[in-house]
Amino acid sequence: MKISGTHRLPFPPEESYAKLQDPELLAQTIPGCESLEKIGEDEYKMKMKMALAAVSGAFEGKIRIADKNPPESFRLIVEGAGKIGFVRGEGLLKFSAAGDATEVTYDGDVQVGGTIAAVGQRLIDATSKTMIRKFFEKIAG
Amino acid sequence: MATTTTKTETLVGKRIRRREDPRLITGTATYVEDIKMPGMHYAAIVRSPHAAAKIRSIDTSKAAAHPGVAAVFVGKDVAGVGPVPCGASLPGLRVPHHSILATDRVYFVGHPVAVVVATDRYIAADAADLVEIDWDVTQAVADPEKALASGAPAVHPEWPDNKAFDFHQEHGEIDKAFAEADVVVKQRITSQRLIPTAMETRGVVAEWRAADRALTLYTSTQIPHLVRTLVAMMLGLEENRLRVVAPEVGGGFGSKLNVYAEEALMGFVSMKIGKPVKWIESRRENFLTTIHGRGHVDYYEIAAKKDGTILGIKLKIIQDLGAYHQLLTPAIPTLSVLMMPGLYRTQNIRADIVGVFTNCVPTDAYRGAGRPEATHGIERMVDMLAAELKMDPAEIRLKNFVHKDEFPFPTATGLTYDSGDYAAPLKKAMDLAGYDKLRAEQAEARKQGKLMGIGISTYGEICALGPSPATPAGGWESATVKIEPTGKVTVMTGASPHGQGEETTFAQVAADELGVDIDDILVLHGDTSIVQYGIGTFGSRGTAVGGTAMYFALQELKAKLKKFGAMMLNSDDVTLANGQCVCNKTGAAKSIAEMAAASYRAMALPPNTQPGMVSTYFWEPPNFTFPFGAHLVVTDIDKDTGAISIRRYIAVDDCGNLLNPLIVDGQVHGGVAQGLGQALWEQAVYDDNGQLVTGELTDYVVPRAHMMPWIESSHTITPTPVNPLGVKGVGEAGTIGCSPAVVNSVVDALSPLGVKHIDMPMTPEKIWNLVKGAH
Repeated sequence: MKISGTHRLPFPPEESYAKLQDPELLAQTIPGCESLEKIGEDEYKMKMKMALAAVSGAFEGKIRIADKNPPESFRLIVEGAGKIGFVRGEGLLKFSAAGDATEVTYDGDVQVGGTIAAVGQRLIDATSKTMIRKFFEKIAG
Repeated sequence: MATTTTKTETLVGKRIRRREDPRLITGTATYVEDIKMPGMHYAAIVRSPHAAAKIRSIDTSKAAAHPGVAAVFVGKDVAGVGPVPCGASLPGLRVPHHSILATDRVYFVGHPVAVVVATDRYIAADAADLVEIDWDVTQAVADPEKALASGAPAVHPEWPDNKAFDFHQEHGEIDKAFAEADVVVKQRITSQRLIPTAMETRGVVAEWRAADRALTLYTSTQIPHLVRTLVAMMLGLEENRLRVVAPEVGGGFGSKLNVYAEEALMGFVSMKIGKPVKWIESRRENFLTTIHGRGHVDYYEIAAKKDGTILGIKLKIIQDLGAYHQLLTPAIPTLSVLMMPGLYRTQNIRADIVGVFTNCVPTDAYRGAGRPEATHGIERMVDMLAAELKMDPAEIRLKNFVHKDEFPFPTATGLTYDSGDYAAPLKKAMDLAGYDKLRAEQAEARKQGKLMGIGISTYGEICALGPSPATPAGGWESATVKIEPTGKVTVMTGASPHGQGEETTFAQVAADELGVDIDDILVLHGDTSIVQYGIGTFGSRGTAVGGTAMYFALQELKAKLKKFGAMMLNSDDVTLANGQCVCNKTGAAKSIAEMAAASYRAMALPPNTQPGMVSTYFWEPPNFTFPFGAHLVVTDIDKDTGAISIRRYIAVDDCGNLLNPLIVDGQVHGGVAQGLGQALWEQAVYDDNGQLVTGELTDYVVPRAHMMPWIESSHTITPTPVNPLGVKGVGEAGTIGCSPAVVNSVVDALSPLGVKHIDMPMTPEKIWNLVKGAH
């Protein structure tokens, strides 16, 4: 499933780029995130809670950052699994200056499996968009 | 004259209420889930969330250490258990090895990988979540046409073309027929994957008693004896040490005409842990792992003369088989080929099937099994041909039907149609509908811009499966009838009914034959320790084959009763009727109970006669039976919402003699409900990664009571010569007749907009887009 969107952050691109790779900040801003720990260069382990329609549960996964091109773009690779299924996603984040702020656009592909695919696939688009919006709102402070 | 009470009222043909219903509607019936045993453990199955993946490693240590967990088994533990069996054979058929738990790779979402056994169901489920599997996910393919494309991921690496088999059948002069035709109509027609959705999911209780070396398997199945034979082979257990019981079965529709991994797996687990173990399938597991039905992409061509005479039919079937073969998977589309000429006379056919592996759960028999697909195809094509030739759809059918004086009729596909008058139900349906008046009303409605449709299907089907040479496991059925010393009658049928009402219909026949009260008759089934070997209930065979076996067992008993009567009345001139044997000279009589008692007491025996009053009969049918009928559906389409409303649903079915019209009506209603499900709502959807998107009843729309139209059900009666009861079978008729009638009706409604064909399900969205696209 394709997923894309644009959000504005009230910081210049360099700062936006840094904030989106700051594990402490991410831990506080990713909806449902319970812990985020660095396990290698640009690689993190994450625990989060997710709810989709009638199913909800804990996820454990890995986040990897690749193709770093500061402050213009980086690629985010997410893999998570839990009792209610799995999520795999990959997306490119692009940063462009818009006055004092930054336009962050994302464009990616998400795959889900297990119960969440069987029960909630139709809602994933809306749910993920909501989660991403909340995330950017928090980062923006 | 006679001094004992006589029974003269006959029951066959009457609307007798089902004797099995009180226990069902009061919630007191015993399903697998209701079985509880001391020391019983519960199993939860760990299943693949991926449609295609290699298993790098499985770590069961956390699950095994969880308090309350008795055992965890993975693929290598069950290496000694045989694979899930495929009973069908076709030339060159590729059969993947399907072990009951995956070992190194999985090939559909839901593929069982491990089983966790605990003292409590909730503990088992929690511990199952602790099994850690390291997956190497590979590319999946979930669409049969995509699977055939070059470069598609291979479901089984050893067969990169994803083909399980090619099948070809041809008869007559098909190329000549098409060359000489005035008109050829071609259409791609799909028959989408459906989820059978029995209200009771599958479930198994296995109880191993080591001291007796005896395993009992309670399982929700349509075929207890075949399960016994095949599971015994899988487990390497002597067949006579395995007892299979099908207690109350809450619907099957073909989905329980199978032998599943979990049946052998629970047997294995119970033998390992030495305790009874229960597994009940959840609805999500049911959707993911119990067989699906249909899954056809069909390419049709029909050739005809200007006057509507059909000259020939070509058909290419792409059958979505799923990832491996369940019991009958590859055989199902061959039934479509047999049925492809429908009720029409043409002797020129060419059929090709390509069976395709996909990373999905297997397809197999689902109510109609191959015949709904074929009937849908031919009935759509005949309608399209009529539209092309500007003929009335009823007229073109009447022109091409096999005539009633042509039976037995050899078909182009090698069948011999037994008996029929195909015009009769169509004419009756048209009379009931007021066909000409409806057409006039439609013309008027069209002037006003309203979308009103009239659709007809005239279906035939292959029932009473079937002669043994035509079936994978024997097509006979068996019955034992015992008259107990007190005169009570026990019938044991090998047809294992699960909703068909045979405890009622069989008792009606036995009551009439023996002249005893229906309340004195008990019909037993579904227990391999009680019932002699049997085949089971599927393919509309229960009454036509199983009932006939009972009928012949009853004739043997009647002959024996008469011998005892003659001896007891000291006369050669006796008549057995109305529950007694009467001396024609003196009028003296002996009741069934008196004769039965004498046969067991055995103070004296007629010449060459054994004591007791028991008869067992295995009946081999000489042919299938071929019921037929006409369904006529009037629809109104809401242009603004795309909603289809069914104004009238007329079903005229000819299933031969009706033993119990109430039960026949019930079968027609249920069949039509499932046909409507396919026509309007149901569709199993896999995404490109092989994830089942319609994995719950929230996303998969099955017909509910409030969605059903009123069904005007009636009959014509053409008895079959194949069996002495004259019954043909009616379990699948409603489903087979329904979907083409509904689609024909909706296409007819939309035809002023230029619509020629609509694939199922005809959701409001699809109809709305067609209406919108036309403007």
